[in-house]
Amino acid sequence: MPKITLDGKTLEVPAGTTVLEAAQAAGVYIPRYCYHPALSVSGNCRMCLVEVEKSPKLLTACSTQCAEGMVVSTASDKVKAARRDVLEFLLINHPLDCPICDQAGECGLQDYYMEYSRAQSRFSQEDKVLRQKRRALGPHLMLDNERCILCTRCVRFCSEVTKTAELEVMERADHSFIDLKAGKSLDNDYSLNIADLCPVGAWTSRDFRFKARVWFLKKAPTVCLGCATGCLAEAHHNEGEVFRLMPRPNAETNTWLCDRGRMTYKALRAGDRLTKGFIKNGLIDLEPALREAATRIDEAKGAAAVLGSPWLSVEDNAALALLAAAMKTEHFCFDFKFETGIKDGILINKDPSPNAAGAALVKAGKGGLGMEEFRARLNSGAIKLVVAEARAAALLKEELKASGARLIAFATNRADIPAGAYATLPYASYFEVPGTFINYQGLKRAVEPAVAAPEGVKPLWEVLNKLAAYSGASLRLDSAADAMKGMA
Amino acid sequence: MIEFYEANKDILLFSGAAAVKVLLFLGGVMSFTALLTLAERKVSALMQDRVGPNRASVFGLALNGLFHPIADAIKMILKEDFVPGKAERLLFTLAPFFALVPVLALFAFIPFGDYVMVFGYQLDLQIAEVPLALFYVLALSGLAIYGVFLGGWASKNNFALLGALRGAAQMISYEVVLGLTLVGLMMIYGTAGLQDLVRAQGALLFGFVPAWGVVVQPVAFILFLVAAIAENKRTPFDLVEGESEIIGYFMEYSSMRFAAFMFSEFVEIILVAMLAATLFFGGWQVPYLYETGFILPGGKALALNHYLVALLQVGAFSVKTIFFSWFLLVVRWTLPRFRFDQLMGLCWKALLPLALLNILVTGAVLLALGKI
Amino acid sequence: MISVKKVNNRPLNLLERIYLPEIARGLAVTMRHFFVNLFNPKGIPTVQYPEQTRPLPGNANLRTRHRLKLRADGSPKCVACFMCQTACPAYCIHIEAAEYAENSVEKYPAVFDIDLARCVMCGMCVEACPEDAIAMDTREIPGGALTRAEMLMNKEGLLRNLPGEPSTLGASNRLANDYLEGKK
Repeated sequence: MPKITLDGKTLEVPAGTTVLEAAQAAGVYIPRYCYHPALSVSGNCRMCLVEVEKSPKLLTACSTQCAEGMVVSTASDKVKAARRDVLEFLLINHPLDCPICDQAGECGLQDYYMEYSRAQSRFSQEDKVLRQKRRALGPHLMLDNERCILCTRCVRFCSEVTKTAELEVMERADHSFIDLKAGKSLDNDYSLNIADLCPVGAWTSRDFRFKARVWFLKKAPTVCLGCATGCLAEAHHNEGEVFRLMPRPNAETNTWLCDRGRMTYKALRAGDRLTKGFIKNGLIDLEPALREAATRIDEAKGAAAVLGSPWLSVEDNAALALLAAAMKTEHFCFDFKFETGIKDGILINKDPSPNAAGAALVKAGKGGLGMEEFRARLNSGAIKLVVAEARAAALLKEELKASGARLIAFATNRADIPAGAYATLPYASYFEVPGTFINYQGLKRAVEPAVAAPEGVKPLWEVLNKLAAYSGASLRLDSAADAMKGMA
Repeated sequence: MIEFYEANKDILLFSGAAAVKVLLFLGGVMSFTALLTLAERKVSALMQDRVGPNRASVFGLALNGLFHPIADAIKMILKEDFVPGKAERLLFTLAPFFALVPVLALFAFIPFGDYVMVFGYQLDLQIAEVPLALFYVLALSGLAIYGVFLGGWASKNNFALLGALRGAAQMISYEVVLGLTLVGLMMIYGTAGLQDLVRAQGALLFGFVPAWGVVVQPVAFILFLVAAIAENKRTPFDLVEGESEIIGYFMEYSSMRFAAFMFSEFVEIILVAMLAATLFFGGWQVPYLYETGFILPGGKALALNHYLVALLQVGAFSVKTIFFSWFLLVVRWTLPRFRFDQLMGLCWKALLPLALLNILVTGAVLLALGKI
Repeated sequence: MISVKKVNNRPLNLLERIYLPEIARGLAVTMRHFFVNLFNPKGIPTVQYPEQTRPLPGNANLRTRHRLKLRADGSPKCVACFMCQTACPAYCIHIEAAEYAENSVEKYPAVFDIDLARCVMCGMCVEACPEDAIAMDTREIPGGALTRAEMLMNKEGLLRNLPGEPSTLGASNRLANDYLEGKK
């Protein structure tokens, strides 16, 4: 356990800790471009230079391990001068096209220039060495070599995290630039992380490109609902519109976010959002649709069934269980078993649903049939009508078709409506209402609403409440959390 | 049917004639009131080197603002009819009627012409021939206080109540003066009926001066004018309203309820103008015009058709009314507002003694002339 | 210390104290104005805005309605950087950015709306613009509209060069100049 002195404070750190990490733990921020906690140390940007006593030159904090008795200064005049000089060096050939750069507002060059330099450039605009401007690399990314500071975070990400190694630094010295290796294309499942990693505007997301300025964006903590991994994420939104999903790095689950997960927000404004009820093939207003659905449920009486869904939050599953109780039916099922586990060794799960564990929690609290039993009853014709969320209903596509049971589904988008559904009712997406999800590790993940639901679209528990009211029962729900009463 | 008509001929004819007269006269007054709301804004504008309202237009035709009264009326009707939560609902609703109805009722006694012969019947150009009309005028104008006071009190608003209190004090005070100024007239003409009063003013003094009220009672005329403006609650006596300080008794009123208050104020202007014309400027009298035509002091005569004479007389009355309405507007936009103590001082310390003195002098002169 | 100034007003004489002559004098003034204006309405100094406007003096130096400047090839100088929208204290600017497929400038405003009904004419947008693309020198004073829609200026309405423009340079933007050079 070496002891070091950092800016006059004595710290004891585990052996092998770098100066940068030690400073970070002590709350001293050292500027950096190439250093990233999840990538190997490269030490090429020189931004993290610190002064160490008895060392003839300044040392890079990211690659210097703490040693006993080390006296480190992160704010001496020498360090400040070094930072200023490094920034001037990095900015020599920078095109200064911030007005058309998406990174503006979250750009390392802008931030550090204002924080550590504020120096006038000694190079005129005409003297700058020009490089290749934007070009699309892969389905998600745009590369602008002129803005690049060659920190190689992207190169290291591709070789160390995805292990696909598509990127390389080409040429040498002043001529060097980032490019694709011959014969490769940048289409791995995590490529959008490169746009986050890039400290400058060299890599930008094609999806987010020119959509919004980052300083307008507000952040809402959410969870990626793309699979059972349940990565923590952040929805960036403004004026009722979600613009992008970013990872919320955490020790338990994720540092990154996969490309497919990042695109899940698109369903929100996909243009096929359901805002009205859908009976057979025609749109009708929500209230008559609810009345119609309630009439069919009343008709089926004991032969009506309720199916939970691993795509719904725990609260909404519990509300479905309450609906089953209100319908006085024996046929309800919250039993979903998928093979879980990380498929590709990084983040993507074998289980495509985000909340199978949450549905199991409801099963533990409220009982219900096993999936096999439910299938069997459906096949035997004991069930005449199924109330289910659209994607869960799609799991029983064959059985529903074979038995001819009526399906009353809940969906957010038209594309989700299962073929042959009798009635479909809209509900608000989990970007619009809060909810709890349980990932494959059994960790509870809360979703907070980022934007408001389209007009007329209600949370699922409210839809169920009304549906029950139309068939003469009451679920007594005033909020999503009410459904959880009497459950762990 | 016929028998019924024959049996009740007089009452039926009287009722029919009265209905026609009410419709025509009140209709004329109402439309003149609407124009007066525009006139007030236009006159004030011209006095202040402005153009005044000229934007309301129908099919692009603005007619220098002639449609503004209609636009105002539509706006008033469409406004939210607001009643404060703590207001006395019944009285709050009644107050505008109390303000408007007595004022409108007063027009029944005002003679707007002498008479016309219609199919052999003599039709008096006055809605109700009442012997003691002057007392009715005073009594009904006294009722207008209820509108002001109930409106202010029922609003349950401090400022409205303040306005109402001021209004009550002011109107009661000036009513005394108003009544006393008319005593002189009654003494001279020996009647309290308005039609008789006007007819009496048709006489000539010294053979050539029309015996109008203003000639025989000049002081009473000025006192009457001041007291009438105060009774009307208009500048310089608009402390009841006092836009810059308390808004006034109708502060909580909106929509048509407010319109009723405002309308009553303008109707009162016409009423004051008509009373001033009737009492002091010979009403429908045109100098030297008699039933048969003009007879000038020199003895020259110009015979005129009966209907032409009636038309001239009604026209004269209208011109006098319009002139006094205009004059009241000019006064309103010329003089600044009194302070409340000045207002009361003026009434009790100046106007009241003057009015009493006027009666005394009138009596003395009449005694000296041996008319009593 | 409050300084006290004693004003010795001339005491009112009898005629003034009985009001009436003074009231008559006042009435004479207002009536004179009334009749003069009644018979000579042309003498009233009112300007019937917005049908009539008074011309701005030639040396008037003021912020007037906005315009968006054009490059030599007719494309807007604006690159939709949102600086003006960010600087605007009245939230009256709405921009939606789009991308040129070939043009090296990359970004342009697909939508550029200024709600003049909200604008406070502060000129912050002009100050903020890094491309010298927006200006408030049209010498047109906005206002006098009957509907809100009339006060909303869109990109087409804003794009305008004054006589003497366009300059030979595209903007302060190097990319734009490269692009214009390449087009020659």
